[in-house]
Amino acid sequence: MAIIDRKYLFDKGWKSAAPIALLLPGFLLYLLIAVGPSLATAVYSFTDATGIRGIPVSWIGFENYDEFLFIGAASRDNIAALVRTIYFCFFVTTIQFGFGLLLAVLLNRKLKGTKFFRTLFFLPVILGVAIQGLMWKLFLLPRGGPVAEFASLFGWTSEFLGGQPRQAFAWVIVVQIWANAGITMVIFLAGMQTIPERLYESARIDGAGGWQLFRHVTWPLLTPAVNTNLLLNIIGSLQAWQLFLVLIGYRPGTQVLGYLVFAEGFGQVSGEVTTAFRQGYAAAASIGLFILVLVIALVTNVFVSRREEKFLG
Amino acid sequence: MTTARQASTQAKDRPRRRGFRRPRIGSYSILGLCSILYIGPLLMLLLTAFKTLPEFFRDPTGMPESFGFENFVEAWSLAKFPSYLMNSVIYTVVATTICVLTSVLVAFPIARGYFKGSKQMLTLYVIALFLPPALIPQFQLILNLGLFNSRAGYILLFLVNPIGIIILVNQIKAVPRELDESAAMDGCGYYRFVLKIIVPLIRPAIATVTVLHAIGIWNELVLSIIYLTNDDLFPITRGLIVFESVYGSNWPPLAAAVLILMTPMLLLFLFLQRYIVSGLTAGAVKG
Repeated sequence: MAIIDRKYLFDKGWKSAAPIALLLPGFLLYLLIAVGPSLATAVYSFTDATGIRGIPVSWIGFENYDEFLFIGAASRDNIAALVRTIYFCFFVTTIQFGFGLLLAVLLNRKLKGTKFFRTLFFLPVILGVAIQGLMWKLFLLPRGGPVAEFASLFGWTSEFLGGQPRQAFAWVIVVQIWANAGITMVIFLAGMQTIPERLYESARIDGAGGWQLFRHVTWPLLTPAVNTNLLLNIIGSLQAWQLFLVLIGYRPGTQVLGYLVFAEGFGQVSGEVTTAFRQGYAAAASIGLFILVLVIALVTNVFVSRREEKFLG
Repeated sequence: MTTARQASTQAKDRPRRRGFRRPRIGSYSILGLCSILYIGPLLMLLLTAFKTLPEFFRDPTGMPESFGFENFVEAWSLAKFPSYLMNSVIYTVVATTICVLTSVLVAFPIARGYFKGSKQMLTLYVIALFLPPALIPQFQLILNLGLFNSRAGYILLFLVNPIGIIILVNQIKAVPRELDESAAMDGCGYYRFVLKIIVPLIRPAIATVTVLHAIGIWNELVLSIIYLTNDDLFPITRGLIVFESVYGSNWPPLAAAVLILMTPMLLLFLFLQRYIVSGLTAGAVKG
């Protein structure tokens, strides 16, 4: 095979195709189950595909998009879900960013026990939605649960996840942040470890206090970590929906776009799924979500690279 | 590690500053408050798993009267638990093994630039992270391959990991090229070279990819809802959700079941935390 680089010194002749031959299984699998389907989402969004094998599929142009955005009560729900997705993203990103930064600043202070705290705050990240969700369902038990007991000290009662849609939604935000703040924290911590100690030393000699050290040393030099976290949080929270499934199910007034794609494409009940659902329509919805993510990520990216220029020149 | 240690000895040498203790108490109290949110749900789970149902209804937050393992036994025997657990183990081990092996074989020639277009191929792995979700066509694919509701179909979904490729490529680039050359001079074959010499050298990266990938499969819930309808094939996460819908408010055995599922993750985490964290922050700081 001629495509081999001339610096390649292993076997000559037909055996020199070994790198390509051994690479192919992995690469073809990648095209088959990841890249291909991903691109095909756009194709499916113009069809009336169902989830049933053998039923003919036909082209229907922009009908799915038209219906998703403009036709009937369902489209109003869809728009509401879109707006809700943006709310979810806004609250999760800002709070998780701030919370993660706070934890990182505290744990970067060489106190005793930082290792314990770091492990504790990172722990939920590796648990997965099923465990995360069930843990919080129990923690938020409306009758006699720990949070309920605490709230009742202030004379406040609530059904939490089973309550008003707004309340349930807010609690999913809390759990989402709880589940992922650990990643934000470790990325900030990794960024802080690249800041040389001598910068702090010299700033201290100049008489800088804690806040000034943070404002003029940590924050600007943390720019790469700040930007990464911002982008990761935004993209992650726009696409997140699995905790909704475990915590509250598909309830009117709480859906986000990601959940809508799943519900339209695969059925609405978490336990029993039939395959007779509208996959073309769901594909259109997921292209909608993709465009939303793309637009918001690009805007953020412009903002973020300006920041990078300003601080790191 | 060494930099951290150096930094802390430096901190000791520095003359104690006025007002140093007060912020430390402040830090601890904020950390303490935050950890309530993290210890709380865990503690509640633990206490519930040791209670009887009447005990739980009487006082959900109190201490259990005795620490017996009845709930764990019940959870284990009630809902096909051993079979679910076995399925999870099979899916995780098989898919992770295939994924890591094929990923190394993809990453090595890319990292070395041994063929034309290797740069573009790497780009294709990077942009995958930004492509639209593949959920719907993937389903159509599995359906039309006749692999819906089968072990093979479910495993097929977990055979690639673009982030893993990126981590491996970065690590392989740090292995000097001269090694390839001298091994080739000595008549070592390509396959043997990659498996016997490269793999041990990039062990940390392989550990990171393995652990991250395995955790992802072990925790997966949604794909099991989409692709598996036969409960003999359910992984344990799905089993847990079925368990919840059947036993609803019977929290004590459910909590025990959650704890059983959590234990392997906890152990893995405590021993391999370094690899997990480095995988999740890979490339993040370089920007």
